[in-house]
Amino acid sequence: MRLSARVRQTIIDPEVARAIDQVAADEQLNALGYDPWGFDAESAKLYFSLAKRIYQYFRPHLVGLEHLPTGRVLVVPNHSGQLPFDALVVSVACLIGGERPRLLRAMAERWFPTLPLVNVAFSRSGVVLGDPINCRNLLEANRGILVFPEGTRGSGKTFAHRYQLADFGRGFVRLALQTDTPIVPVGIVGAEESIISIANLKPLAELLRMPYMPVPALLPLLGPLAFLPLPTRFHIHVGEPLHFAGPFDDEDEVIDQKVAVVQKAVAELIDRGRRARTGWFA
Amino acid sequence: MTTTLITGIAGSLAQLCAARLAARGDEVIGVDYRPVHRLIPAGVRCYRANYNKTRIEDIVRRHRPRRVLHLGRVGNLKVQANKRFDLNVVGSAKIMELCVKHGVERLVVLSTYHIYGAHPHNHIPIYEDDPLRASATYPQLADAVQLDNMAATWVFRHRKLRTVVLRPCNVVGPNIRNAVSTYLRQPALFYLLGFSPMWQLVHEEDMVDAVVRAADGDAVGIYNVAGVGALPYVRALELTGARLVPVPYLLAHTALRLGAGLFQAFPGYLLDFLRYPVVISDAAFRRDFGHQPAMGLEQAVRDTVRRG
Repeated sequence: MRLSARVRQTIIDPEVARAIDQVAADEQLNALGYDPWGFDAESAKLYFSLAKRIYQYFRPHLVGLEHLPTGRVLVVPNHSGQLPFDALVVSVACLIGGERPRLLRAMAERWFPTLPLVNVAFSRSGVVLGDPINCRNLLEANRGILVFPEGTRGSGKTFAHRYQLADFGRGFVRLALQTDTPIVPVGIVGAEESIISIANLKPLAELLRMPYMPVPALLPLLGPLAFLPLPTRFHIHVGEPLHFAGPFDDEDEVIDQKVAVVQKAVAELIDRGRRARTGWFA
Repeated sequence: MTTTLITGIAGSLAQLCAARLAARGDEVIGVDYRPVHRLIPAGVRCYRANYNKTRIEDIVRRHRPRRVLHLGRVGNLKVQANKRFDLNVVGSAKIMELCVKHGVERLVVLSTYHIYGAHPHNHIPIYEDDPLRASATYPQLADAVQLDNMAATWVFRHRKLRTVVLRPCNVVGPNIRNAVSTYLRQPALFYLLGFSPMWQLVHEEDMVDAVVRAADGDAVGIYNVAGVGALPYVRALELTGARLVPVPYLLAHTALRLGAGLFQAFPGYLLDFLRYPVVISDAAFRRDFGHQPAMGLEQAVRDTVRRG
């Protein structure tokens, strides 16, 4: 499972390596260099270097990264595009796109631990299972968390519903209140068009134990290649941190009001991104 | 002089604990249902007795131990399920009853972290209050879960018998002969392709320290024991220096199912522990008992392979 030093050297990007070294100093790593969730700086350099190639493919236009505070934070974007390229692009952007490198710990879908190889790459890069206790532990240790409250409802939506936010869950707001964490809303534009899905084959998804099964619009033309993303340009607008106060275990209705504030902020950032771009690829 | 009764004395951990206590001048009595083949530390008296038979009461009556370390949990799957139930559940109940009846002041029960179960939805770390998923997924572990539950009930039902339940992660070391230590000593190590969950290992010396502290200490309750940290299990295998052979999960699963008789040393339920993380927190044990593990993960693996 270890790559030879030479292969590593050609893959590892110096900018990524520098950034990882900087953020790793703040992670609580044990004598062998691991944290309890499986993050490992040396493996992360490799995976983030590969991720940077994908990041460059989408040529993201970044606005407002300076809003990202130091210390604990919940970064909350919209979710779209069938495959989690939006999570990858935001993670790489926070690592190398701003003035200070920031390692976001992405909260992943619950089926990722069952996927061979993927689970190892994700864990070594700092991705953790999307579980409230994981999230609370990381926030209490002053980490940055990337969470998509729409979950697979967002990423799996068809083209007809593009840029319409699916319902946000409440968990992230409860965790923000419990740990006194600011929420940074993010609007991502461009991921919706990277893989255009015209339908969701639910029975096939259930059969394969996947959350959804998209039908790419270009399937008749490109065949399986249609599952690869088009080189659309991502426009990422980062909003100012939102601070909430109140009991974390308040009634759902009270929490819903706070969730609505975040959802509205994300929707506004998406609008800003859509107004700013001149085309899917520009 | 404090008299301590230790169950499972044919096992390595019990012998190491007995040696530690005997060295400092405690009187130590050992019991096991198995014959004791290995060298018993000087000054330790050993008896062969079933935990659920009357002979064990004679031993307790004769020696009047103040402390009982119930380390004799049967984890070995070679023992048939019904016999394991008799030893782990019925036998442990008997030992706990004897403790109450004969005025034992301190009981330490050795459980295992396996009872949390290896599940893809496990959060990290797992605390003592978290649900025990093992019995739902693996019927082979039902007796271990029941032993732990029973001991946990005992903690609160019999306040005079101050009970501590320890749930250690994988105990490894040169003298240990459990499934994981034996696995690490193989010249070629099969691992599941594409999986490398975080593993915790506790060195036998740190585990002995944990048991002795639990015996000497005052707090009661259930405690995880976790060693110094976690590492990906494939990394642990690499540290052994053995040849690594990747196997796809489906192949390993099928082979273990079909050849259950051949692979008794490696029970099927352990396969999930090679896929999903079970990372426990020992913060409570460190806080209440001042336990500070000293042996690093690399050393734990290397010492295990070196074999005493």
